[in-house]
Amino acid sequence: MKNVIVFALDQRLCAVELRWVREMFTLGYVTPVPSAPRLLDGIVNLRGTITPVLDLGLLLNEVDPDRAAPTTVVPRARRGNGAILLEVEGMVAAFRVSNVEEVSTLSQDEQPDTLIDSRGRRVTLIDPRRVLERALDAVGDARGLHPGLVEAAHGS
Amino acid sequence: MAHEDGFAPEELEMLRTFFRDEAQESLEKITALLLKTTTRPDEEQLSVVMRTTHTLKGSAGTVALPHIVDFAHQLEDRFADVRSGTIVWSATALDCFVEAIDAFRGVIEAGNEPDELTLKRLRQQLALLKSLVGIATETAADAESDAESESESESESESESESESESESESESESESESESETETEAETGTASDGTPLPNQGSNDSTRSIVAGGLSGPYVTPDSQRVLRVSPRRVDRMMDSVGELVFDRTRIERRVQHLRSLTRELGETRQRLRDCIAAVGDDSTATQLQPLEQHLATQITRLSAETATLLDDTDALRRTSSTLQDGLTQIRMQTADSLMHRLAPNLRSIARAVGKKVELTTAGGDVEFDKAVADRVMDPIVQLLRNALAHGIEPASERIAAGKPAAGQIHIETRQHTGLIVLTVSDDGQGIDPAALRARFVQSGRWSKTRAQLASDEEVLRSLFDAGMSTRDEADELAGRGIGLDAVRETIARLGGEIEMTSTPGKGTSFTLRLPVTTAVAQAMLFKVHGNVYALPNLHVLETAYVDLEPALTPAGQRRLPATMEVREEHVPLLSLQTLLDSGIRPDKTGLPAIVVDYAGKRFALTCDKIVGPRQIVVKQLGPLLAPLALYSGATISGSGKVQLILDTAALTHLAYPGSQPIKAPASTPATQAPGQVSGRALVADDSKAIREVMTRILSRAGYIVDVAEDGAHALGMFRELRYDILITDLEMPELDGFGLIEQVRAEDARTPIIIVSSRATSANKQRARRLGVLSFVAKPITRRKLVEALRRMS
Repeated sequence: MKNVIVFALDQRLCAVELRWVREMFTLGYVTPVPSAPRLLDGIVNLRGTITPVLDLGLLLNEVDPDRAAPTTVVPRARRGNGAILLEVEGMVAAFRVSNVEEVSTLSQDEQPDTLIDSRGRRVTLIDPRRVLERALDAVGDARGLHPGLVEAAHGS
Repeated sequence: MAHEDGFAPEELEMLRTFFRDEAQESLEKITALLLKTTTRPDEEQLSVVMRTTHTLKGSAGTVALPHIVDFAHQLEDRFADVRSGTIVWSATALDCFVEAIDAFRGVIEAGNEPDELTLKRLRQQLALLKSLVGIATETAADAESDAESESESESESESESESESESESESESESESESESETETEAETGTASDGTPLPNQGSNDSTRSIVAGGLSGPYVTPDSQRVLRVSPRRVDRMMDSVGELVFDRTRIERRVQHLRSLTRELGETRQRLRDCIAAVGDDSTATQLQPLEQHLATQITRLSAETATLLDDTDALRRTSSTLQDGLTQIRMQTADSLMHRLAPNLRSIARAVGKKVELTTAGGDVEFDKAVADRVMDPIVQLLRNALAHGIEPASERIAAGKPAAGQIHIETRQHTGLIVLTVSDDGQGIDPAALRARFVQSGRWSKTRAQLASDEEVLRSLFDAGMSTRDEADELAGRGIGLDAVRETIARLGGEIEMTSTPGKGTSFTLRLPVTTAVAQAMLFKVHGNVYALPNLHVLETAYVDLEPALTPAGQRRLPATMEVREEHVPLLSLQTLLDSGIRPDKTGLPAIVVDYAGKRFALTCDKIVGPRQIVVKQLGPLLAPLALYSGATISGSGKVQLILDTAALTHLAYPGSQPIKAPASTPATQAPGQVSGRALVADDSKAIREVMTRILSRAGYIVDVAEDGAHALGMFRELRYDILITDLEMPELDGFGLIEQVRAEDARTPIIIVSSRATSANKQRARRLGVLSFVAKPITRRKLVEALRRMS
């Protein structure tokens, strides 16, 4: 049994354990960060702290390409301004969610990383540690003054 | 409608806020000075009091508060009476002055239009002061003040009659007698009343010298009274909350707009309802509906009136939140100078305790620290000073024998370097002997003999920072140095900084502290690329310019950016921020604004879509996830709560100079600077913060990058470090006055245009200015028109 928050991400039903969730908030203006990897949506001001916003959909597909097909398809909601703030080992990142379904205690499916919700739907359990690790790797790849930047600076 | 100086009402309001803070501070300072002694203030104190009042008057004029100008003027006259002896100092006089100043503070606090009662109180107090003129009180008027009043009272009365009509009413005779008498009395008496050291005006050194421990005079801590100490974390939290407030305000404004359009729609619905009722005709339903329709109409009118009021309320909210934000930004800042002011008494008491003489010199006092950094670095520095005095600096006899000055020399220098604050604390003591340290480490059993032999000198010195390597009981034997260096390093590291030590036996020891600017407030140049605002540290911005794109080769082809542009007769690489931060340059552009950067002697230019201008920003860290991105050094948060990225100048320099080879400029490249884009770096020296702020605004709009200095000494230091295109200075300033500054600047540089902005626009001063090659003399109160006119004369 896991205490989770269940939310819709694009058309996919996902959940994250409550112990990683610091808060839910409304995204303000997301400032794009040119030269950052694509999975970084941008940065926002969260009460004076610069907070990265990740594209969780993109990350999930990268982390788990085998399960690119959604566990449970939910109606596509408008891309909202709601976001969940995660904190893992002192690192903080937010991601946009389309819709928050519920906060509840769900049991595990036979499949790994999958939960069953009260309506019997399959929910992908997200491991924020893996997500943030992947994000760190991606930013690490784009670190420094890579050739792309040098080209951009001098090209037209 | 804009104010006659061209300030928008809210801008003027903001400047007045600055003025009020400053005025309160000035008046507080005057009261403190007056209350310091029960006897008549000495000449030096009087001249400080008069200068402070005068500055206040000038600032009030600049922010268009004529009633305050008038009051300050009267107060200044009364101080002049004290100086000339026409007001005889007594307990009554002191009381009257203190009361009057208190009433004055009330008037300033009351805002732009004080109520009659507040004004009346001040008028009464001033009248009371005036009634003291010419009255000898019971306390036998001391002969001293009488004697010196003779000559001056003459010139004083002269000045009054001459300048009645002038609003400023400072005539030559007064200003001259004032400035001269100041220097003369001190020079003649030699003792300078209480032996206070004179400001080091003639020195060619940009450093200021505070004699500590040598006790050649009391060190006056400025404004040490009545200072509220607040934890920086609290300010941070408040700052964040203000950010939220601004953000919420924007949201409320949007909602109000929604409300307004809803009201409009409701009006339309009502109109349709009316049409329907009219169509039905004389039916009984219609008669029933009509009063309802009318009721609805009234409600709609009320709704729109309420919405309008709500909009006004959000306006008020906007003003308050920006005042709050500005205030908090100010709170966070502290100059290195103020850190030194706090260090000096410490150094004095340490010097007294160990019985050694020491002289402290400082440089870079204008570098601004975040208070959090300054506060936390204080203890480590005191520790370093303690070590230097206790163990580094030799007894006077030894020093003289070694050919050193008897007093130990300690130098603290502050610089801002690539986003770091670099603080160097050096002494000219005996230094640390690595050989002696090795022996000590081996003897105490910390190191094996082999390890001690293998270790390099640097390693030996570095190990002093290790825990437990430098403890009190062995300090004296540790060849000189090192109590608690581990603690010092820990504090610095916790701040996110680092510390290094170099030492030459016999010559001295030097500690270099590199401190982060994570929470520091910085001056930045803001500009837009693809709708987003970015910032660059102003420190590295040389000027702004305009680049023409190369004409397209084919009709369909896109215009191209030249590879270099000409900056001050030199071709520098040109980078396109559009390409770097966006998809490219939009095809309809024929030219772009550019920012010319000078970083570690390497110059290059960056194109952008629009230059926003110089601003003060709070630097925030990007956090662990984004820190690896080399292009950015941090971010800041705009007034509306948006994140703005700060570009890393070092990274851009690497991009401009790949492999760091200097680029040879092809002579054929056409690179032009549009004539309309006046740009340059201006240095403003004025002891009034409100005036500095006003000038910064005027000059920024005229395309200048503006640096400010609060007195002549600071200005001179800054002038020597950077090339300025124009120097604008006040005449009356503490430390080094305007003419002193100009003389020193002219001694080194005959060409830089200089403008004097002063209320002492006497013909003698004007003549003196002309002799010194001053471009123009602008009389205070300063207005945009006057200054722009003076600037125009440059070309």
